[in-house]
Amino acid sequence: MLSKLIRRTHMYLALFLTPWILMYALSTMAMNHRDFFAQLRGGSDASYAMESAGVYPGTFPPGAKPREMARRILRHLGLDGTHYVQRAPETGHLTIYRESPLVTRRITYTPADRRLVVEKAAFRTPSFLEELHRRRGFEHDYPLEDAWGFIVDIVIAGIVFWVLSGVWMWLQLAGTRRLGLLFAGCGLALFVVFLSTI
Amino acid sequence: MTFHRFVRRLHLYLGLFLLPWFLLYGISSVLFSHGRYFEGLYNDGKPNWTVRFDRPYRIEIPASADQRAAGERILRDAGLKGAFGTYRPNGREFHVYVYDFWSATQLKYYADRGRLVAEDRRFRLDHMLTGMHARGGFTQSSFLDDAWAVTVDLACLGMIAWIASGLYMWWKLSQTRAWGALALAGGATHFALFLLVL
Repeated sequence: MLSKLIRRTHMYLALFLTPWILMYALSTMAMNHRDFFAQLRGGSDASYAMESAGVYPGTFPPGAKPREMARRILRHLGLDGTHYVQRAPETGHLTIYRESPLVTRRITYTPADRRLVVEKAAFRTPSFLEELHRRRGFEHDYPLEDAWGFIVDIVIAGIVFWVLSGVWMWLQLAGTRRLGLLFAGCGLALFVVFLSTI
Repeated sequence: MTFHRFVRRLHLYLGLFLLPWFLLYGISSVLFSHGRYFEGLYNDGKPNWTVRFDRPYRIEIPASADQRAAGERILRDAGLKGAFGTYRPNGREFHVYVYDFWSATQLKYYADRGRLVAEDRRFRLDHMLTGMHARGGFTQSSFLDDAWAVTVDLACLGMIAWIASGLYMWWKLSQTRAWGALALAGGATHFALFLLVL
């Protein structure tokens, strides 16, 4: 009964988390070969195309912090969500990066004339994968971001469970112990070599 | 050996060989996912960096210079070697970060003051694990660094092989197809929803 429970949990958890594991595998390869993919597209910088321009109709309270201003601007644009903001110390320009897996936008706000420019980053598969890989939740004020962070924690728990349950299932298969030990020993030895040399 | 048996053994032995990498990526992901919490654990007043030396030094690094070549020169002059990265925060400073799995040293060259400062990082388990997690790519010149990057690729291919072989094994267990399809579809739906709403 216990054996069946462990085997089924191993399998169903893996089936549910398949998209995440596939994403982490592909994104790790994209990052491991970042220079190659950058060369393929002829440069590493993201390219942005103008999406819209306008004037921000609201005002900010005196001494408003960039984070608060960014949130108001994003709400005005209907783009509220995970973002990073920078303020140029001399001009007061705000640059907001609204990070979404499928579309990353750069919003620039010029305080002198309250001008807003929204630009859209060109979609690139390696960047899309890397953005998903690096996304981890619990760092922003958005519940959806925390939900993603929770799923990432489930993936982590899943990985640890697969390792433990995998070893347990291997030990149940008496016919595979010797060869299994050889593979496990070789993997561990190689890992230790790396750990002590680089 | 039948194809079915081959797939089962591939799933198992690949898992056993790559177990240290999979465990490393799983455990270290917790540190990324809950970075603030773990950072708080080391909030003991001890500095993360300790000055090893601060001495006069002067070289020309033009803005158009190859940063890796400049980094190599500074490392050589400082009597250090190993995997490294460079960072130029502004026209007056040039940083070289040299590291292995256990330790890290940063060299800060201040062109305007003509000084080179070397600082050693305090050992922290969380830094070690996140450093191992993030290490990869083929930008270093040593064979062992490239070999590590190859094992990173191998771990990614391993994950893809687990997915493919796992799906095959699930499909062969006819009594689990309905629940498995539900788990797979549930995961895929959640993933797609996150892509759309984040």
